[in-house]
Amino acid sequence: MKLLLVEDNERVARFVTKGLRESGHTVDHIENGRDGLFYAVSEAYDTIIMDRMLPGQVDGLTIIETLRRSGNQTPILILSALSDVDERIKGLRAGGDDYLTKPFAFGELLARLDALMRRTKAGGGEQVLVAGDLQMDLLARKVIRGERTILLQPREFKLLEYLLRHVGQVVTRTMLIENVWGYHFDPQTNVIDVHISNLRQKIEGESETPLLRTVRGTGYVLTAGV
Amino acid sequence: MRVRVTRSSAFTLALLYVALGVLAIGLFAFPLWYAWETSVEDWRIELIREDTQRFAELFNQRGPEGLADFIDQRVRLQIAGERTLLLTDPAHHPLAGNLKAWPTEIPDAAGVYKVTLKSVGMSNRLLAVHTLLPGGYALLVGRDLSRSAVVETRFWWGLGAAFAALLLVGLCGGFLVRRAVLSGIDRISRSASAIVGGDLTHRLPVGRGDSEFDTLSRTINRMFDQIEQLVHGVRNVSNAIAHDLRTPLAELRSRLEELAISRPPPDETYGEIAGAVEDVDRVIGIFNALLRLAEIDTGVRRSGFEPVNASALAADVVEFYRPAAEMKGIELASRTLQPDVTLAGDPVLLAQAVGNLIDNALKFAPRDGHVAVTVARDPVGRPIISVEDDGPGIPDAEKDLVVERFYRGDASRGVTPGVGLGLSLVSAVATLHAGRLDLLDNHPGLVARLRLN
Repeated sequence: MKLLLVEDNERVARFVTKGLRESGHTVDHIENGRDGLFYAVSEAYDTIIMDRMLPGQVDGLTIIETLRRSGNQTPILILSALSDVDERIKGLRAGGDDYLTKPFAFGELLARLDALMRRTKAGGGEQVLVAGDLQMDLLARKVIRGERTILLQPREFKLLEYLLRHVGQVVTRTMLIENVWGYHFDPQTNVIDVHISNLRQKIEGESETPLLRTVRGTGYVLTAGV
Repeated sequence: MRVRVTRSSAFTLALLYVALGVLAIGLFAFPLWYAWETSVEDWRIELIREDTQRFAELFNQRGPEGLADFIDQRVRLQIAGERTLLLTDPAHHPLAGNLKAWPTEIPDAAGVYKVTLKSVGMSNRLLAVHTLLPGGYALLVGRDLSRSAVVETRFWWGLGAAFAALLLVGLCGGFLVRRAVLSGIDRISRSASAIVGGDLTHRLPVGRGDSEFDTLSRTINRMFDQIEQLVHGVRNVSNAIAHDLRTPLAELRSRLEELAISRPPPDETYGEIAGAVEDVDRVIGIFNALLRLAEIDTGVRRSGFEPVNASALAADVVEFYRPAAEMKGIELASRTLQPDVTLAGDPVLLAQAVGNLIDNALKFAPRDGHVAVTVARDPVGRPIISVEDDGPGIPDAEKDLVVERFYRGDASRGVTPGVGLGLSLVSAVATLHAGRLDLLDNHPGLVARLRLN
């Protein structure tokens, strides 16, 4: 994937660029807003990672607004040291697709980037989500694994749906809290882990292949069960 | 504290009162004087006209000579009194009367005049009626005004005396009021100076009454209460930051320094680095909590209030925490006394507040304990969300403290995870929604009652 990183902090930029290249992406790194806007409009990128506060006259939000007005629909992940819920809403309203507060863990950034890039490929209009022999019928609200019907609570259904939509990608705990429950705080207990392990018990019978894998220090990934 | 008399506001105020009093007297006296003056003058003119009428009738009956004789007779007999009489021929040559010549001050036209006849050697003011008789003869009948001048003078003196009395009483009163006001202000000022000087526990003396000074003192005392509380809070926060933020930073620093010095084998190094990342995450967690608290304290989030169904919100948060509670063997129950308790609020913050309360309850409830979340309305209809547990509870002495930033009961410090900002945040969210957080005993355990508005 070809990515554009617009970030003025050299150390953060080096860390992100290195990590992304090691994950197999091509990264162009730009240090200021004006050049960032120039690159964003003149080349085709799969995703743009945009710092909000940039040196020079053009800040991150302005670039995003300019891009969106010109019809450019490249997914944009906003990086920002401004963590208020309001700032987040402002960023998303300007046309950003996701918002990550600094400082962040690299795993979190990578997981969110993956989610963004896949989202644009998948239409989102499917009726059935599949991972290996696990199938979710969104219209009938039914989940089956092989021949077995799995009964899920509404919230478990939503959790599994989110994991299925991001099959093969790492999703972090924060992503789950934000997208499945809509909360914006960090529970002090390991609530998410317990939800996941409950779900795991339901979708993974004793003789069945494990589907839901824990990625240490980052989150979880639902695999197609190879 | 001495104030120069002329510059004190009490003096200015007294002066203003006196000036207003003078104006009031003036406004009262002038119309009175005017009415009196005009009615007396009308009456005088009437008298003179009656005289003139009589003379004119005489003129018509007996001709100029007859009238001249009559006037001379009156002048001679001094019946004329203070009257001035003069009859002249068309050329203004005197025929009879007590004036030797026609006074030049009187115009040729007939009419009523108020003049001083200096040209004929008279020094008193005169009210004179000039009448033209048939044949061009002129008749002047006047009355001396000096007699009523005495009355007028007395009137003016009386008015002046009233002014003087008002001025004197007003200034004395002003001085007394000033002394009374100054002593009150002095008292407040001295006490306030003591407090500003650093004695934050000092308070202004307050009388039992409802005087303005008592009210002011009470208000200022409330202000000082708040200041004392804030200063206290700032002191606590700095201490707490020193402890809670410095500790992980110190650990982090020594960890990294030791790595740099001892250069352990890679396996151990990676373990240490992972530990260092955890230290940093703790610091970031504290910062995030502090930033959110600061954001809530500014009250700006009130602008984004929307209708929130507290019952549904609480039920959702309970569902979110239920698996974690079950893991600990705690029964987490949600009781909704009224199905649709709604309010205008910030759903994100309310969810976090309820979440923090449940987090806390789960942290302290014993294994196989119970935590219950209840949504209800108080008698006035305001929403209440309470979270009850059957843990150790909080001693009365610490109930106020735990809401303070960074405070953690000694029992919990170092034993349970957390940065000691959870209840502060709940309290701040309650304040944002014009409510409050009450901590009560559950015998055993704690009831955290979140009142909202």
